[in-house]
Amino acid sequence: MAYAYLFKYIIIGDTGVGKSCLLLQFTDKRFQPVHDLTIGVEFGARMITIDGKQIKLQIWDTAGQESFRSITRSYYRGAAGALLVYDITRRDTFNHLTTWLEDARQHSNSNMVIMLIGNKSDLESRREVKKEEGEAFAREHGLIFMETSAKTASNVEEAFINTAKEIYEKIQEGVFDINNEANGIKIGPQHAATNATHAGSLFLRLAAQTGPLAHSLTLSSCPAET
Amino acid sequence: MLTRVKSAVANFMGGIMAGSSGSEHSGGGCGGSDLPLRFPYGRPEFLGLSQDEVECSADHIARPILILKETRRLPWATGYAEVINAGKSTHNEDQASCEVLTVKKKAGAITSTPNRNSAKRRSSLPNGEGLQLKENSESEGISCHYWSLFDGHAGSGAAVVASRLLQHHVTEQLQDIVEILKNSAVLPPTCLGEEPDHTPANSRTLTRAASLRGGVGAPGSPGTPPTRFFTEKKIPHECLVIGALESAFKEMDLQIERERSLYNISGGCTALIVVCLLGKLYVANAGDSRAIIVRNGEIIPMSSEFTPETERQRLQYLAFMQPHLLGNEFTHLEFPRRVQRKELGKKMLYRDFNMTGWAYKTIEDDDLKFPLIYGEGKKARVMATIGVTRGLGDHDLKVHDSNIYIKPFLSSAPEVRVYDLSKYEHGADDVLILATDGLWDVLSNEEVAEAITQFLPNCDPDDPHRYTLAAQDLVMRARGVLKDRGWRISNDRLGSGDDISVYVIPLIHGNKLS
Ligand SMILES: Nc1nc2c(ncn2[C@@H]2O[C@H](COP(=O)(O)OP(=O)(O)OP(=O)(O)O)[C@@H](O)[C@H]2O)c(=O)[nH]1
Ligand SMILES: [Mg+2]
Repeated sequence: MAYAYLFKYIIIGDTGVGKSCLLLQFTDKRFQPVHDLTIGVEFGARMITIDGKQIKLQIWDTAGQESFRSITRSYYRGAAGALLVYDITRRDTFNHLTTWLEDARQHSNSNMVIMLIGNKSDLESRREVKKEEGEAFAREHGLIFMETSAKTASNVEEAFINTAKEIYEKIQEGVFDINNEANGIKIGPQHAATNATHAGSLFLRLAAQTGPLAHSLTLSSCPAET
Repeated sequence: MLTRVKSAVANFMGGIMAGSSGSEHSGGGCGGSDLPLRFPYGRPEFLGLSQDEVECSADHIARPILILKETRRLPWATGYAEVINAGKSTHNEDQASCEVLTVKKKAGAITSTPNRNSAKRRSSLPNGEGLQLKENSESEGISCHYWSLFDGHAGSGAAVVASRLLQHHVTEQLQDIVEILKNSAVLPPTCLGEEPDHTPANSRTLTRAASLRGGVGAPGSPGTPPTRFFTEKKIPHECLVIGALESAFKEMDLQIERERSLYNISGGCTALIVVCLLGKLYVANAGDSRAIIVRNGEIIPMSSEFTPETERQRLQYLAFMQPHLLGNEFTHLEFPRRVQRKELGKKMLYRDFNMTGWAYKTIEDDDLKFPLIYGEGKKARVMATIGVTRGLGDHDLKVHDSNIYIKPFLSSAPEVRVYDLSKYEHGADDVLILATDGLWDVLSNEEVAEAITQFLPNCDPDDPHRYTLAAQDLVMRARGVLKDRGWRISNDRLGSGDDISVYVIPLIHGNKLS
């Protein structure tokens, strides 16, 4: 389907906080009561509308378990938005936020929009982290904040869409270089024509990264894609 | 393989090739791009990815490692993981498929000489439908497991087609011999349709005198067994399976050749398959993917690679016998470096098809031509074009800016190795690893074996994902992480920028079978 922009998101946070459930609720409007441990990365996609424009969200749901940390870290790059999730019924997941944030800041591009999410708001009776604490953490680190429930779907739409709005605003302000796909933003097919030259140079840059081609055979006479 | 096919032959060829009338794209061939695809591009079926997921998988920046989520989709709890290249091609040109094949006797396949012509209905799936005859009930099929891995180059077409169709050729070839294979107590008959010979194998051997006389017994008289004039080779059953796999590769290649006039089947691919049949693993390899068994920490290589370097003598001999294949632009001789015009008349080291060592020869005009095989290691190329010498497809591949076809130098014949599962009591950490060169380019057999022997014992033996996690671990080790200076792996070595695909197949299940 045609879109004006594609935004790439990544969902991070401790195991069991409800990352996969948030994604499933957002893409399929379903809740999954059993914990299906994510063991690598999983993907979801959905179209939303912002400012009358069709925007495709491409969402990478990562594994929270410690043993997958180095793999998860390697997926920060090239994301425009991140949902950093903790579980309001487990204080340790809140305590680990600093580590997650450091990781994210270190491995992502500096403009990445981060939404802090306190999930499982339906479990009020088992709450261990006050809403105010989440708000304070977000304020301190310059994040957006929401409490959600992947079970009741409360605030789930909002969490994903507000993140997109923030990214969209940054684009309007010219903060994001939208021609650099490493920022996690792609211009849709109908807009692409005007940016063809930039896309071309990106391709060449990537091609160059793959290392020296045949050593003594230079590319000078290559008809190639230019 | 990264830039396995070089479209640019570049300035070495410059002077020579400049004159020849150039078509725009050498690899394009017979204008295939206007034709429909034989199969749409996608990732392996067993991954069960949606279109959106396929799109995500093609992220050259983050390079997500895709894994098999539903382990039940593959036999034996086989693990699988893959990652796309770092930007050399839009698509991941590796392909894979895995199936349980049921091989049933095909009508007329055993009791008489198989009708080779009737077996050539390739475009429909060759499962013998419509040919079922009365013997059907007596012939119970045997089932075998099939894993395949293809590494495409110059397009994904051939790899996609091979991943969808090679298994049918394997089935079809095995159909012809399934009854013989089932009858393991009796050696395969030398000639079909003759009375089965129940004489013990060694009594077939005739004395030299007897065979010179023309054997014993009166030829032609009714009731006497068929006359034997010569000693007879004993062909064991597994050699028939090897033959069947070799034929399957050839038939697959012929099918691509035929169908490329109807469909756009771009490029070529390497092929590595494993068939588990009657307690034995058959590993057939054409190209530069690799299979190893890691058993109790020990490495057992199950394939070898076919590259310009490993096949130099075959290629040189072919060029020597058929010099026209070189289009007057290449020399079949190898020199340690390019020969320069000013060196004419001097003596230089060289080697020919008959040599593994080196000798001196006087440089002649012909020796100034570009060498048939040039470059070292991963950069070695046949006619400055391709770095792998066996596989499927590539029928239209030409030397850049010329009319010289590469295909005559490429072979579709696999090397088949056999591993008898019953000869060893395998543990849960004994595995067969299949991977494309993306893995092996950056990790040695020893490193892979070490990684596996570290990883698996730390995994819950009942975790259905353990082999997939092991495969993911291997892909991660070969891809590495993106740093300022590109993808890096342990010890700051360069990671693989190529497509990487890995199967980890536990052998313990093979023991459960038999
Ligand atoms: N009550 C309630 N339970 C939730 C909510 N979100 C998730 N869960 C439950 O929490 C458990 C873990 O959810 P997942 O989404 O699989 O957790 P995850 O963050 O993806 O965990 P990893 O994949 O290991 O990183 C599951 O049993 C869910 O049913 C929620 O909003 N409310
Ligand atoms: Mg999850």
